[in-house]
Amino acid sequence: MTSRIQLLLISILLNGSLFAESPSRLTFERDIRPILREHCLDCHGADKEKKGDLDLRLRRLMIQGGENGPVILPGKPEESLLIQKVVEGEMPPKGKKVPSSEIAVLKSWILQGAKTARPEPKSLDDGLGITPEERAFWSFQPIQDPELPTSSQSDRVRTPIDSFIAQHQDSRDLRFNPDASKRTLMIRVYLDLIGIPPTPQQVSKFISNDDPDAYSDLIDSLLESPHYGERWGRHWLDVAGYADSEGATDKDQVREFAYKYRDYVIRSFNNNKPFDRFIIEQLAGDELVPQPHANLSKEEQELLTATGFLRMAADGTGSGKNDIPGRNQMIVDSLKIVSSSLLGLTVGCAECHDHRYDPISQKDYYQLRAIFDPAFSGSGWKTPQQRQISLYTDDDRTKSAEIEEQAKQIEKEKQQKLKDSMEAALEKELAKHAPPLREQLRDAYQTPNSNRNPEQKQLIANYPSINITPGNLYQYNQIAANEIKAYDKKIANVRATKPKEEFLRSLTEASNKIQPTRIFHRGDPRQPTDEVQPAALTISQPTDRPVQFSSNDSDLPTSGRRLAYAKWLVSGNHPMVSRVLVNRVWLHHFGKGLVDTPDDFGKLGQTPTHPTLLDWLATDFMHSGWNLKELHRKILRSTVYRQSSAIHQREQTIDSSNFYYWRKTILRPEAEVLRDRMLAASGELNLKQFGPPVEVKADDAGQIIEDGNPNRRSIYLQSRRSQPIALLAAFDAPVMQVNCAKRPSSTVATQSLMMLNNAFVLERAKKLAERAMKETPHFPLPNIDWNPNPFPPPDKIVWSYGYGKINEDTQTVSSFTPYTHWHNSTIWGGKNRPDSKIGYSQLSASGGHTGSSRYSPIRRWQAPQSGKVSVTGELDHPSPIGDGVRARIISSNELRGKWIVHQSKLKTLCGEFKVEKGDFIDLAVDSQGNVNNDTFTWTVTVSLTDKEGLTQTWNSNAEFVGPQSDPNQKLFHLPRNLGRAWEIVYGRPPSTDELKLSIAFIVDQIETIKSQNISVPSEASLSAMTNFCQTLLNSNEFLYID
Amino acid sequence: MKTNPFTRRKFLEKNAMGIGGVALAWMLQEQNQLSAAPNTVALEPQSFDLNPKVPAAVPKAKAMISLFMHGGPSHVDLFDPKPELTKRHGQEYPGDIQYSFINRASKTLLGSPWEFKSHGQSGIPLSSLLPHTASIVDDICVIRSMHTGANGHEVSIRYWHGGIPGITGRPTLGSWITYGLGSESNNLPSYMVLTDPGGHPVDGVHNWSNGWMPSLFQGTVLRPKEPRIFNLTPPEYLRGGLQEQNLEFLRELNQQHLSTHPGEHELESRIESYELAARMQTAATDALDLSQESEATKKLYGLDHPTTKEYGTRCLIARRLVERGVRFVQLFLGGQPWDNHNSIRSSLPAICHKTDQPSAALVKDLKSRGLLDSTLVHWGGEIGRLPVTENHGDPGKAGRDHNGQGFSCWLAGGGIKGGMTYGETDEFGHSAVIDRVTPNDYQATVLHLFGIDHKELSFLYNGQSNTLTNNNPSRVLKKILV
Repeated sequence: MTSRIQLLLISILLNGSLFAESPSRLTFERDIRPILREHCLDCHGADKEKKGDLDLRLRRLMIQGGENGPVILPGKPEESLLIQKVVEGEMPPKGKKVPSSEIAVLKSWILQGAKTARPEPKSLDDGLGITPEERAFWSFQPIQDPELPTSSQSDRVRTPIDSFIAQHQDSRDLRFNPDASKRTLMIRVYLDLIGIPPTPQQVSKFISNDDPDAYSDLIDSLLESPHYGERWGRHWLDVAGYADSEGATDKDQVREFAYKYRDYVIRSFNNNKPFDRFIIEQLAGDELVPQPHANLSKEEQELLTATGFLRMAADGTGSGKNDIPGRNQMIVDSLKIVSSSLLGLTVGCAECHDHRYDPISQKDYYQLRAIFDPAFSGSGWKTPQQRQISLYTDDDRTKSAEIEEQAKQIEKEKQQKLKDSMEAALEKELAKHAPPLREQLRDAYQTPNSNRNPEQKQLIANYPSINITPGNLYQYNQIAANEIKAYDKKIANVRATKPKEEFLRSLTEASNKIQPTRIFHRGDPRQPTDEVQPAALTISQPTDRPVQFSSNDSDLPTSGRRLAYAKWLVSGNHPMVSRVLVNRVWLHHFGKGLVDTPDDFGKLGQTPTHPTLLDWLATDFMHSGWNLKELHRKILRSTVYRQSSAIHQREQTIDSSNFYYWRKTILRPEAEVLRDRMLAASGELNLKQFGPPVEVKADDAGQIIEDGNPNRRSIYLQSRRSQPIALLAAFDAPVMQVNCAKRPSSTVATQSLMMLNNAFVLERAKKLAERAMKETPHFPLPNIDWNPNPFPPPDKIVWSYGYGKINEDTQTVSSFTPYTHWHNSTIWGGKNRPDSKIGYSQLSASGGHTGSSRYSPIRRWQAPQSGKVSVTGELDHPSPIGDGVRARIISSNELRGKWIVHQSKLKTLCGEFKVEKGDFIDLAVDSQGNVNNDTFTWTVTVSLTDKEGLTQTWNSNAEFVGPQSDPNQKLFHLPRNLGRAWEIVYGRPPSTDELKLSIAFIVDQIETIKSQNISVPSEASLSAMTNFCQTLLNSNEFLYID
Repeated sequence: MKTNPFTRRKFLEKNAMGIGGVALAWMLQEQNQLSAAPNTVALEPQSFDLNPKVPAAVPKAKAMISLFMHGGPSHVDLFDPKPELTKRHGQEYPGDIQYSFINRASKTLLGSPWEFKSHGQSGIPLSSLLPHTASIVDDICVIRSMHTGANGHEVSIRYWHGGIPGITGRPTLGSWITYGLGSESNNLPSYMVLTDPGGHPVDGVHNWSNGWMPSLFQGTVLRPKEPRIFNLTPPEYLRGGLQEQNLEFLRELNQQHLSTHPGEHELESRIESYELAARMQTAATDALDLSQESEATKKLYGLDHPTTKEYGTRCLIARRLVERGVRFVQLFLGGQPWDNHNSIRSSLPAICHKTDQPSAALVKDLKSRGLLDSTLVHWGGEIGRLPVTENHGDPGKAGRDHNGQGFSCWLAGGGIKGGMTYGETDEFGHSAVIDRVTPNDYQATVLHLFGIDHKELSFLYNGQSNTLTNNNPSRVLKKILV
């Protein structure tokens, strides 16, 4: 960088004629002309006609003056007419007055002698032209290939990108934050690249992967995901102004086939189509397809679909606005889309007059328009319907015609049948009347209504029953009427066998139909003036290499204008295109652009925060063959992307807006990601790709929602301009007017209300709850002491089933984990048996089986009240092989009895002992070392005598119940359910405190639900779980990407 | 190679600036960034809230209701009688005029078809289109010298709301007021926007944007029909304390999350938005319940008449919001009903009928409740209309084109002197000639009434201090203050 600037400077210094004034000296070119351009040159310079015969384009012309004489007197500002007019506010007569700060500049310049930077030209072309000063604006400079800077943070610099960032940080004594945790980074990359969160399994796999390349591999695999294109294609659809409706009029007609362009974009991103090719296809794909556009191959269809880009602007010409302004507006909007998406300039201003700030003349604007005009209106205007390209092949057409012929044949039969039936019915009716009335009636009937004479009309009126029509034939002959009706169905069935006709929404150009493009006076399409030839914006062309296009390429059936223009855009010589694209990619990765006005790199836009980085990226992007995925890789592998979001006081004090990227800013994901993330959490996300969009409708309250299956990714929902989906619009998804260069990210109470009360969110929470109650956590959950019965259980249900550890030193139960899976008449600890942890461990009504040497199956009895208990039972290990089992009864941290059986049977009796309400008696069985052949039976009776001397007994066999039979029983698994929901939503297990907090919440909820006996969607525990899940979905950890 | 950035910068300045212009200016800018002394980027406040704040001066106004009449109400047909224009009806306008629609432009003067009469003790003349406004004329100050300098809707409306002509993306007046003063209500948004069933004004949501301020200061939209706020009420099964428990749990989760992200404004405002949403559920339901109003009040606002019912309802809601501590309420219309390019003889009366009675009722009602002294009411659009005919062939279809050079608006209450006019346009009503008032002057005056100096209320954005009036010369209109 350093040496490059010096080289440039040397070359400039050697060029004596360009040698500069000192900066304190004001010059006309640098300091004065921009002020005049903004306020004065519209009338005094831009047009051939100069108001008051005054031309302000050169200093010498100002001295020469107009009707009222010279307007400047060098050295004498107060006496200069220019100053007097602007000070008095007389000039400019309309619009914004010249601000006092600029008047001061004008005055000082005159006082200093009204200097120019260099000798002024002898003659001037018409118009404002482009001055060297204007040309010197940063974004019009050729893209540089800067050298990498060095920085003091060599330990943190992973990529060239980091060098540029670190260089700036050094100047502020800032450093990169440490890397984010692997988990944070993984979730960040998933949501950033594919917009779908990783599953807990994927997270834990990544965390435990110590391969130094794991992160790079992860990026690679996500870039290869078919969902990458859905996420990044959406960004492009924003700037393309994608909509599934025409807009422009109240009808907001649906665009049935716009989705093919959406799918084209997704596929192009997925296939990593070189971006230069992507641009060429979108601007001129049709020019690469031979005409006529019939019997199209897949490749040809793709090329034509690509030009849908130029059909995204609102177009009311097929729905009531097919007038000159309506047509013009569609072209004007299309040019806005082209310029803001690719050129990074707001050319729209130049539609009516020369741009006030950027060197874009009105002529430039219309020359640019001339590139597109032949396609839009070369052969006269076409409505959206007329522009459709049928995908019917000749075969399809032949087949369709044959089928139509069959249909017509049946139609004929039907008509014959109808005729016969009506005649028969008529004769039957006439037979009721005697001649001559009979004949008169027949005549009257057979005479067409309009030809009937008054007598005939009267006859028909008097004898209405002879007026038989196809509509009332059934009243005369029901059977015939039914037969005729059956024909209609037959005809419809035949027609339904025609090949389905689909269309492409494309922009195509008729062969050799070119109308001249003219400048519109003040942008009014009804006032065309001078003709212009197609050309790129003058300012975008290198001065030494002006770009010339043929206005009609003889090698192509079309004019070739768009193709030539597209090729020039991606030639590598255009100063904007590559910068604009890499800036936009940066914007989406970091939430702000290097130029934070991604559609305006002009004077009113922002200047780049890291200009050399921008150029390095732009150059590298072109060198890589416009390889977008490679660009992602470079950015994502960089420290600047991988660092944590943590805020530190010192850094915050220096740079609170994170201008220097010393941390990764947390981002609220776009509306689509938020919605998709909710569906992913609830387990409902339908990953089907492509095809017609899911339609929308208004719900009872008038909010726009999905009509039908709500589970597809948001990119596949219909995007109607007049009916934006409420959830998406609330979170700033664009409602297309023209296009969207940068989405805002708002935080308002209405979003919170939506997340709290909207049916979509509530439904996802419920589905997530159901899912979490069925599934097993993937991460190990913290062990907590959980009382599973927040309510007094029904009297008899005191048993629970699980497995646990026995502390052999103290002979006490140190853990108890409920079994989760109910299978026929047994209950297990996992989905599979053997389970990886507890093997064949299980319990049934009469007994069970051990599973591992570490865990014992435990049948647990809980005292419903205090008293004295005695326990009796019979333990049996029938198998002749294996080594038998050991049974223990443990209660209140005391071993109450111990028995070993092997192909034998024993009574298990314990002496009486005291229990308090809620105490456990655990009946634990373990192996003798070998877990094979450890099936046992053990029926136990517990007797409890309370203070009053009343005795109750419980029988383990008779009272064996599965989890389904008691709502409270479900609560056994609550920690697991909560933990599962937690890890699905956050990608991490809850901490002990978090799990306790969650349990406390659920217990409160269930109590409230029970106490109020209010209507709930289903049982209390599901309802409470649903609320728990909804709250997770509302939380900041879910709503933000760290 | 590492060189001293300071000397290198000097070298560049000396040699690069003005060389065929500023060929290296953009690189120089980077050099500037790299070499400027550290610690010069100003500190942004650490967190933002809506707690009430005490302004520097004693405020006259505590709240404001702006009845925004976009499209360009025709001042010469409503507030600014021009006998000379009437006299020379049909003749040529003698000066230069800038038109927006050149194809229909003419210089033929169009005298107002409506009669002006004096009203009230002050004797301020108003046209016959505003009989209800006539009844509050002693409470309002008509400014007849508004001037944006530009005719376009967008350019001017952005000037009115954001402080710079033609620029979007800046915070709007309501954002500045709520940023400066916070909210008197802790259960309703401090800045509320009541939109029209006919749709949004030009620029849509930009009209109540928070720009680069935190979104805490964005206007909250109250929909024009039920449900006025979507998703305001929880489903049946979440009532009876369950949602409260959810919110309590959410608070705990978010606080814990915030503790690992200290100082992250975005997270704080998201938390605040949930708090507000929760409180809104009850407060907004109550504020919107017009059954609490007497029949007389409903009649005053014209709720008994189909023409005035819709706008009257919104004016009444505005009063109820202000009563409950909402700081800034703005009403918009659908599309551009005041944009009377054609058939002004029928289209102007139509929009007057819709708005005249409710607007006047609002002032009367505020006054009778003792709220007018502390509530500033604004009525006006972004531009006015030209004194000449916009020609559509048929004289019956004649209209008026845009005019940003001179037009009228009125203010009432909140420290405004009633029963007066301020400023003048020329004899035809084309351009403000005496006591010209720009939107920046208006903004400075509004902030003054709230006890705020427009030059002092600033927001630091990327190290730059920004004000609503953008350091443009702006004056407080002392003459119209009590």
